[in-house]
Amino acid sequence: MKLRVIVAMLTAAAAAGGPVLAQTRPAARAALTGSWEIYPLRGEGFGSGVPPKTPVAAPKPVPEPPLRQPHLDQWRALQAQNAELTRKGLPPPSAGMACMPDGMPGMMQATFPMEILETPGQVTIIQEAYNQVRRIYLNAPAIAPEDAEPRYAGNSTGRWEGTTLVVQTVGLKESARFRNVPHSTRMRITERLRLINDEMLENQVTVEDPEFLTGPWTWSWMYKRWPGYKIEEYVCEDNRYFEDPALRYQRLRVN
Amino acid sequence: MRHRRDRLRLALGVMAIGLIAVARAGAHHSFAPYETTLQIKLTGVVSDYKWANPHVYFEIDAPDATTGQTRHWLIECASTSILNRAGWKFNMLKPGDKVTIIASPLRNGEPAALLKAITLADGRKFSNGAAAGRATIE
Repeated sequence: MKLRVIVAMLTAAAAAGGPVLAQTRPAARAALTGSWEIYPLRGEGFGSGVPPKTPVAAPKPVPEPPLRQPHLDQWRALQAQNAELTRKGLPPPSAGMACMPDGMPGMMQATFPMEILETPGQVTIIQEAYNQVRRIYLNAPAIAPEDAEPRYAGNSTGRWEGTTLVVQTVGLKESARFRNVPHSTRMRITERLRLINDEMLENQVTVEDPEFLTGPWTWSWMYKRWPGYKIEEYVCEDNRYFEDPALRYQRLRVN
Repeated sequence: MRHRRDRLRLALGVMAIGLIAVARAGAHHSFAPYETTLQIKLTGVVSDYKWANPHVYFEIDAPDATTGQTRHWLIECASTSILNRAGWKFNMLKPGDKVTIIASPLRNGEPAALLKAITLADGRKFSNGAAAGRATIE
């Protein structure tokens, strides 16, 4: 008798709250809201150091981009040259050295922890490094790349396909280059974010660019939930690195 | 004798660099300007400490292991959030504190070094996070 009353109360509560909730996310899906760190774990100082409860296979590394020629040869030559200079202790200047943010898709590699916030009609992702923020507007009209203002985080719209959040991002600054890969204003990033269990979130990333790529450039990133972690402030206020005027490498201002 | 040993270590370090892949340090920049395979130990007095991003820095005056003469060093640490996660606190150092550090000096000979480990006057020890690498000497 008592149990029946409780079940009836719960059913009534679900009926009252269900439809409102369903507008933003399926009722059966766990919330993405909270802090996350990249997986596999990166070592002391980067994350929690706590492995997942259930062992999970690490995603494959990001593959070489399927660039059109001559961009592919140019990119390979640049990567080889940068690696050689770094081996010599003369790392070439980078956007990061100049305190510029990664932008998309680089910010989703979660160098530092990130926070995801689900609110009605919107998913917000905050990457701790450089205080980077991206806002994903749910069920909003698709944005044509030519109408999208170029931004570091781009312009993102999303929709739930069952328990997968599918995000389209266009309008990406040409100067923000993930792994030094050039792109055009027609670049489009599609992300498929899916919880594979309560604490692991998979992000399948597909980059398309008809001008620079011969086909889709795809990989996955995996994030582990970090309950209770509070994202820190990161303002790049005391940058002591500069481009050496003669040797053009990342050099520390000592005095 | 000590000097010759240091030079040998430097030469070995330079050779080893060709064999190791230098990963991106973190969010900000490469640590490749540092002689990452050479580590030195310094005990000195803190003269400045700036808790900020992209990296935390402090300065120390420490006697040179070979000449005994005091030398002024700029010591590079990780970002504030990496250090917080490694157990540091923004106010755990102040000018006048005596510290012992293990660090990798710049390859270009300027008096700056990348911190590997620090021991405070009260004996507490801290790393500089995984990106900076572990101390390999004591």
